[in-house]
Amino acid sequence: MLLLQLLANGFVIGCNTALLALSFALIYNTTRTFHVAHGATYIASAYACYLFLIQMGWPLIAAMLVAVLVGASLGVAMELVVYAPLARRNASMLVGLLSSLGLYVALVNVVALLFGNETKLLRPGAEASYHFGQVSLSRIQLIEIAAAAIILPIFVILLNLTTWGKIIRAVRDDAPLANLIGINVPAVRVWVFALGSSLAAIAAILTAMDVGVDPQAGMPVLLTAAVALIVGGVGTFEGPVVGGFVLGLLQSLVVWALSVRWSNAVTFAVLIAFMLFRPGGLVGRRLRLEETQ
Amino acid sequence: MNYLGHILVMISIYAMLGGSLNLVAGYTGLPSTCHAAFYGLGAYSTTLLMMSAGLGFFSSLGVSIVVTGLLSLVIALPALRLKGDYFVLATLGFQIIVVALFYNLTNFTGGPNGIPGIPIPRLLGFEFDSVFRYLVLSSIVSACGLFVLWLLINSPFGRLLRAVREDELAAASLGKNVPRLQTLAFAISAGMAAVPGALFAGYIRFIDPTTFTVMESIFILSIVVIGGAGSFWGPIVGAAFMVILPEALRFLELPLAAAANVRQITYGLLLVILMRFRPQGMLGEYKFE
Repeated sequence: MLLLQLLANGFVIGCNTALLALSFALIYNTTRTFHVAHGATYIASAYACYLFLIQMGWPLIAAMLVAVLVGASLGVAMELVVYAPLARRNASMLVGLLSSLGLYVALVNVVALLFGNETKLLRPGAEASYHFGQVSLSRIQLIEIAAAAIILPIFVILLNLTTWGKIIRAVRDDAPLANLIGINVPAVRVWVFALGSSLAAIAAILTAMDVGVDPQAGMPVLLTAAVALIVGGVGTFEGPVVGGFVLGLLQSLVVWALSVRWSNAVTFAVLIAFMLFRPGGLVGRRLRLEETQ
Repeated sequence: MNYLGHILVMISIYAMLGGSLNLVAGYTGLPSTCHAAFYGLGAYSTTLLMMSAGLGFFSSLGVSIVVTGLLSLVIALPALRLKGDYFVLATLGFQIIVVALFYNLTNFTGGPNGIPGIPIPRLLGFEFDSVFRYLVLSSIVSACGLFVLWLLINSPFGRLLRAVREDELAAASLGKNVPRLQTLAFAISAGMAAVPGALFAGYIRFIDPTTFTVMESIFILSIVVIGGAGSFWGPIVGAAFMVILPEALRFLELPLAAAANVRQITYGLLLVILMRFRPQGMLGEYKFE
């Protein structure tokens, strides 16, 4: 009974992690930027929603839409100001990673300076809950499941079946070659940053409505998304979705078998094991260790 | 005077942290993000040896250097098989696992409550009980540690590490055992990080997991990168700069709560700007290319 409830919660977490992992994968696979500051985009959009919804009293839909826009613009701004110049200089991945860490630290502290360090709740009062047999889910949890059920298939279809998806996959597989056949690579990069950041914003707003948000929440979330991507399969867009659900369920099993305090440790132990023994991930092609660069 | 002394103690601790990370990140070209884990392992092991085994500060320090160096092999052996951002992620994972252990092995570490009442370090009956006396201890110990580092990087071993950094394949083709060199550098660097860990524990006389988190690892890595990776003086200048910077911001008379945020914003932006215009940092030679 407790296990069933925990698995249901794990499934909801999995929905969110899958969204986040897909948003991270869009950017990572396509631009080869280890975008740690994605965690800052996540925080900033949740706080933007808090600002419009709670502090300024906007209607829910308007607040959410503008918050998603804030997230998207932040992602695009980071690409234009920081990553694009580095890409033009052919800077190494590590230079990008270190810049991204700097961006993350700076942005998160701007948010903390503006809103304070305590957890903010985005909903007034308790949520209505619905019972399904022995499992009960709150309204916001059902909305989280619905959001993932709508968004994830749309993205997988768009990326696999449309010309637009083909262009993104071309840049992912070989950016210089894509450039050579006339694809505007810098523009594609801006697009994936906009899309990835909006997806992260949606996940952030939903999570903030469910459990609240604090300025330091971005790093663990970002790391879980990155782990989901590697466990699922780097270089694919289905892998991170699979990885997200696997991690969500795994974390709830850890809560059941051990304690919530071990969930981070187990997640990262799984990551290290995957990187060593199955670097291609669950979905990806079987890679040898040497091929992961 | 105590205020100035405190700042100098912190600089000596961070100079040693930056210097030891530089051996791996700057000289060997492996940007490890778990240095705070070794800093913490050094602090906890020294503390436990002093409080449970009843050893003195210096003998505990000696043992904990060896213990931390050996424990680093737990992550060095798997992580060194990985390249690029996989290496960064693996070390980050280790960092998070170690912090989880600090939190959860409550029998040894006191969990979130930490360990209070760490004894004052003493040598031949002399107690380092004031800030000024502690400054003498920490600067001499750090200077010794940095001198060992200087000897290492100017030895044939140090030259080999730089060769591995510049071209692993070329070094291997000359018959050098690249994985062994990298592992050795990693273990030495981790063992050296135990020194500032012990100095911190003996100075504050209280440790808890919040000092040794991921953000601290990133902070130490920024000290190396901002000061200059692959340069002996780089991390020392970086440490002085990063410790003095928030103190300088104090004169802006910000409210206390905002000061910490402003300090972090400054160092975050500094990292971004340096990576864009001067990836080798203030004094460095290595650009992480």
